[in-house]
Parts: sequence; C-alpha cells; structure tokens
Amino acid sequence: MFKYCKKLQYPINIKKKDLRMAKYLVTQYGGSNGELAAALRYLNQRFTMPDDIGKALLTDIGTEELAHVEMISTMIYQLMKDASIKEIEDAGLDTHYAEHAKALYPTDANGVPFTVTYFATTGDPLADISEDMAAEQKARAVYENLIDLTDDPDVIGPLLWLRQREIVHYSRFKDLFEYYEKKLKNGANEFKEMPASNNDYYMNNFLENPMNNFTNDTFLMNKMHLDNNEFFM
Amino acid sequence: MNRYNYFNDNWLRNMKNDKFQSTNPSLFAPKEAFEKGNLFANLYSQYKDYKPAKLRADNERERMFLELSEIAFAAHELNLYLDVHPDDSSMTALFNDYRKKEMELTKQYEQKYGPLTVNSENSNTNEFSWVNGSWPWERDANV
Repeated sequence: MFKYCKKLQYPINIKKKDLRMAKYLVTQYGGSNGELAAALRYLNQRFTMPDDIGKALLTDIGTEELAHVEMISTMIYQLMKDASIKEIEDAGLDTHYAEHAKALYPTDANGVPFTVTYFATTGDPLADISEDMAAEQKARAVYENLIDLTDDPDVIGPLLWLRQREIVHYSRFKDLFEYYEKKLKNGANEFKEMPASNNDYYMNNFLENPMNNFTNDTFLMNKMHLDNNEFFM
Repeated sequence: MNRYNYFNDNWLRNMKNDKFQSTNPSLFAPKEAFEKGNLFANLYSQYKDYKPAKLRADNERERMFLELSEIAFAAHELNLYLDVHPDDSSMTALFNDYRKKEMELTKQYEQKYGPLTVNSENSNTNEFSWVNGSWPWERDANV
C-alpha cells in the first residue's frame, strides 16, 4: 500500500508564470522519459525481480518517482495558474485549454497523451534493469534540455535537483545489474545461496542452466502456456 | 552552442573508474546533500556551470520544514544504497541515526503545524485537521 505525506520531496516555489515553459515541462509528466512512466515501469517490474534486493530497490525508487510526478505537476500548476486566456493562446496552449482548462493532463511536449507503451516489463531481470538504466539516462538528458530552455532560477533549481536524482538512480540500478550479472556468471550454485530468494520458477528453470537458459526458458514458457490452455478447455 | 561537456563530467569519469562499487563513499552532510539532490560525493555531477539553488527559510515553520526535508532526504538516500548493499553495517547505523532524527523532527513539526500524514498523533483533535491546507503544490506550503 501507499501512504500520502503532505510534503514535496524538494520545495517548489515558482513566482513567475511561464506558459511556454509549462508546455515543455509537461513531457517530464506524461512523456516517454517522464516521471509517470518511470514510476509505473519500476512498480510493475518489481513483482518479478528474482530476490529481495531487486524487489526492495524497484519498490523504493518507484515510490520516489511518484514524489517526482508530484513535483513536476506542481511546477506545471504554478507556471499556469495566473495565466490569462490571451497568454494561453499565445503560448499555443489553447488546444489544451479547450479540453482541460488549467487542469493537469499527462502528455509529452507535443500534446501526445501518455501511453503505457512508454515502458516494458519482460520478466527478465537483466533486460528490465537495463531498460531502467537507459530510462534514467534519457530522463537526465531531457532535464538538461529543459534547463537550457529557461532562465528562471525558481524553475532551474528543481530541474537541477531532479536531474541529480536520475544520476543517483542510474548508479543504484547499475549496482543491481552488475550484482545479478555476476551471480549469473558464477553459475547456479551461487544463485541458490542468494539471500531470501523465493521465486521457485526462476530458481529451477532459469538459473539452473545459465548457459542455455534462453532455450530452456522459452520451451518451458510455451509448455506452461499449453498446459494453461488445456486447463481452461 | 554551449553544449554539455561530456569530457569534464566527473560522474562519467567515476563510472569509467568503476568507483560506483565503493563500499564507503564519502557523504555530503544532510544540508548540502539536500541542496545538491545527492548524498554521495563520488556520484555528484554538476551540469555546465549551474550551481544548486540555495534554500532559505524565512520563518520558524520554514526552518523546521527545511530541516525535516534535509534529514528525510539523507535517510532516503541511504535507504536506496542499503537496498543494494544490505551488508554495509556502518551505513545501516547512519541510516538509523537519520531515521530517528527524521521521526523526532516530524513529531516536533506536526505538534506545531498540523499532521503531515493522516494517522499522525497530531490528527488526534476534535476538529479533523488533516483537511486543512496548505497542500504541497500551493506556493505558500513550500519554503
């Protein structure tokens, strides 16, 4: 479960309205490299992490991303709050206003609505964590682009801060990736001694034969699939 | 065009030197870490010549809120670190120090300015104070 704390992770206090910047910033809310995609990516992938270390890290970073969704939303809200209709039209946000007035709506900077195709869940920890590392790098790059587009210190401060979080998260995911990779290289025995592993299917079928796990895994997945179909017929 | 200089990026340099695996990285103090958005000195990387914003508290409420945010952030950074390095006992001890301090500061803040979570001890009043603003996205709620 999740509990709400009535507090931003880092303070946002934007005194000057800026519709143009609000239009760009929304991509870190509902764009492909945004915070909403990040939160959902990690909170979905965590279920099939092979041990407690992976489950803990994806839960905790996924939860922090929800706090970043709140920060970005707050920035967009404060940038738009005092705008007149004329200013909204001039910034090209009239199409947004037609459907949402000044309410928040997750899109990218071009107004394309958020979609779940922005993230993947393969069930393979190395593939999933590689995606997470790439996602953090892409979000860092987008924060840099956004910082380049403004000179308001009230906006730059939180963007620099959020950029730094991408760097820390990347490093933690890299630690996790290397930890799993090392375990795979060392073979099945060491995997069996991984602390508090409780994914039996993964332990028995994926890690037993690390050299040919892909063929085995695919075969077993197909077999399981057939068995399920038979069961339902 | 004043583009980002990848070759002067400490963070990339550290990545190449594989310092990410260090079990005892040097840490910023909570205040500096919160301003930078990073507790770990070896991971910190500045963008161009931008410096982190200086956070200022103008009154007692803001001062307490800022201090609470700083400690909460330091504890959270150690939480993420310990997720992947759960055997690091000195970091665990530090995490517990920060965690206790965070609880203490939260209690002090809530006693004066109302609950931050709905099940806080300070929700125990005749009036249901949880609904009272400011809400975090409102400007005057922040430092």
